[in-house]
Amino acid sequence: MFSFLVKRILSGSLIVVLVSVMIYALFWYGPKSPALELCRRDTNNRCTPAKLVEFEDRLGYSNPIYEEYGKWAKGLVADRTIIHGTSEYDCPAPCLGISYRDKSLVTDQFKERFPVTVSLAVGASALYLLIGVTVGVLAARRRGSVADKALVASTLVFSSIPYYLVALLSFLILTLSTSVFPEAKYVPFLDDPLAWFSGLLLVWLVMGLYGATAYTRYSRGSMVEALGEDYVRTARAKGLRMRTVVTKHALRSALVPVITIFGLDVAFLLSGTVFTEKIFSLEGIGKWGIDAVNIKDLPVVQATTLVLAVSVVVMNIIVDIVYSILDPRVRLA
Amino acid sequence: MALPAGDIAVHDETADASLEPEARKKIAGRSPTRIAFDRLRKDPIAVICFAIVLLFAVIALFADQINSLVGVNTEVVRASERVNLVTLLPLDGPPNHGFDPEHPFGVAPGDGTDNFAVWTKGCQTSLFLATMAAVLSTTIGVALGLLAGFLGGIVDSIISFMIDLFLTFPFLVGALALAPIINDRWATEPEKLRDVSFWALVAILTIFGWMTVARLVRGEVLALREREFVKAARVIGVPTRRILVREMLPNLIAPIIISFSLGLPAYVSAEAGLSYLGIGIIGRESWGRTIEQATPWWEQYPQFLLAPVVGIAVLVVALNLLGDAIRDAFDPKTRR
Repeated sequence: MFSFLVKRILSGSLIVVLVSVMIYALFWYGPKSPALELCRRDTNNRCTPAKLVEFEDRLGYSNPIYEEYGKWAKGLVADRTIIHGTSEYDCPAPCLGISYRDKSLVTDQFKERFPVTVSLAVGASALYLLIGVTVGVLAARRRGSVADKALVASTLVFSSIPYYLVALLSFLILTLSTSVFPEAKYVPFLDDPLAWFSGLLLVWLVMGLYGATAYTRYSRGSMVEALGEDYVRTARAKGLRMRTVVTKHALRSALVPVITIFGLDVAFLLSGTVFTEKIFSLEGIGKWGIDAVNIKDLPVVQATTLVLAVSVVVMNIIVDIVYSILDPRVRLA
Repeated sequence: MALPAGDIAVHDETADASLEPEARKKIAGRSPTRIAFDRLRKDPIAVICFAIVLLFAVIALFADQINSLVGVNTEVVRASERVNLVTLLPLDGPPNHGFDPEHPFGVAPGDGTDNFAVWTKGCQTSLFLATMAAVLSTTIGVALGLLAGFLGGIVDSIISFMIDLFLTFPFLVGALALAPIINDRWATEPEKLRDVSFWALVAILTIFGWMTVARLVRGEVLALREREFVKAARVIGVPTRRILVREMLPNLIAPIIISFSLGLPAYVSAEAGLSYLGIGIIGRESWGRTIEQATPWWEQYPQFLLAPVVGIAVLVVALNLLGDAIRDAFDPKTRR
């Protein structure tokens, strides 16, 4: 178990580093200098080549890339001071740099936006499991019935529609045209739990119902398989109630493949749900990322990528550990 | 070299000896692809979806001809001839007037371009781009999967690591970072930008799309490698390249066709999604961009939004269901 963890954390860190290097290099070697945008803004669109060089010096683009990347990476663990022309910015660890847009600390912006994305992820993933697994298990028990067939067919069609169309139409029809749901907004949970809940309810329902279709199919499929296993028959034969057999025996092994997908989905949810945040105008990690890319705000893009890579790696490790708990045959090595 | 016993219907010669010659003919061997194709033809959903996809393909292939037949084009005219300059809504046709035969889908609010012409050209962009991306990503995925599975060792480790890396790498962030970089590079040459942005999008979709195929093929190859016919070929000294192409590839037809057919709808959807976010194709009509343009007009002019939405939804659902049907048809475990 211990050696497994060490191995996975090492290979995971390697992936995180590579992803962040790739994004860094993409901007660095891109045809348009990331300094150009800042230069234009600060000089009221009169950015001369000489001024651009000055801005590039200021942002460190005249130094070798590995040196600048090193500074950035070191800032994650140690305090650093960023010098921006004549002004200095203290950036306590974990320092993600300062945004080119308004020169505020990226870490602070992150702290402001991450709760929005976490709230979305928590609600959506809860619905994935709650609706998806429940409906899937019920369908597996009534396998072959009309209800089961209708369910399988409808989830197949529904999940084939691109997500952004579903989200966009839900927003337009349910919020704009009919105002069945109020406009989505984020209120911190600690300020007002009720407003937090009602503000995000529609968004959760859209994300959750759409995502749950996949879970319904996965859990139905693996449940059908599990119910056909010998140990289920043995459990029935020794007189256990069907309910106990389903929940205690079959469900446990049926959940294993579902958990894998769930882990990755949570990771992607945490790294920002770009379409959801754009359509419902929520200021989360995803919208932060697109806005930053459009103005070439490298420190912010780096931060969003880092969040994604770390959450994917961490979720993968957690999934493997949960595996070994759910399925005693799995040994971590 | 004969194919392995993937053909389920192949019968044992000695057992056949007792049968009448006529009966022997009936149980002639059929290849797995043949079996799958026969199953597909009997599947009503597959046939309907295929017809829908075919319809869209015809629209895409002959978009220009259809447009000139209907008498519309995507050129921007003097907007004042088609839209009210105060409300920006069209003078004729939807939403405020009845059907306008000159513009079957109406005209866009604001600049007055013809919606039907933009729609058919958008269909062309979408299908052409998705096909290119699916062909490229399947080819690359199959090649890398074959190499990783067959050669093993260090090659396998490197390719498997690349698969994991690219699966971790955020598609949207990658696309968001790459698209503006490419577009800035050719921003001064609109003629070139049109092609560059098309191929750049194909490249982005391919870079983030080859991994699933590669992983699938690698797994299959790992199992095939240990089969007798491959070992036999090795023993008699068949060169590796020949083993890969002549022995392995024919056995990988099913995963290749399945990944290709399920890749198409994913790319159609991704293209429109990226255009909707404003980082898609430049200089060509795209359903995604129409959706983005039409969203603010929803309450006054819903038809404007619905045309591309229905286009994407119907095409993607038909492609997905067809892909699922193909997968079922190739799967010997599903019975009908």
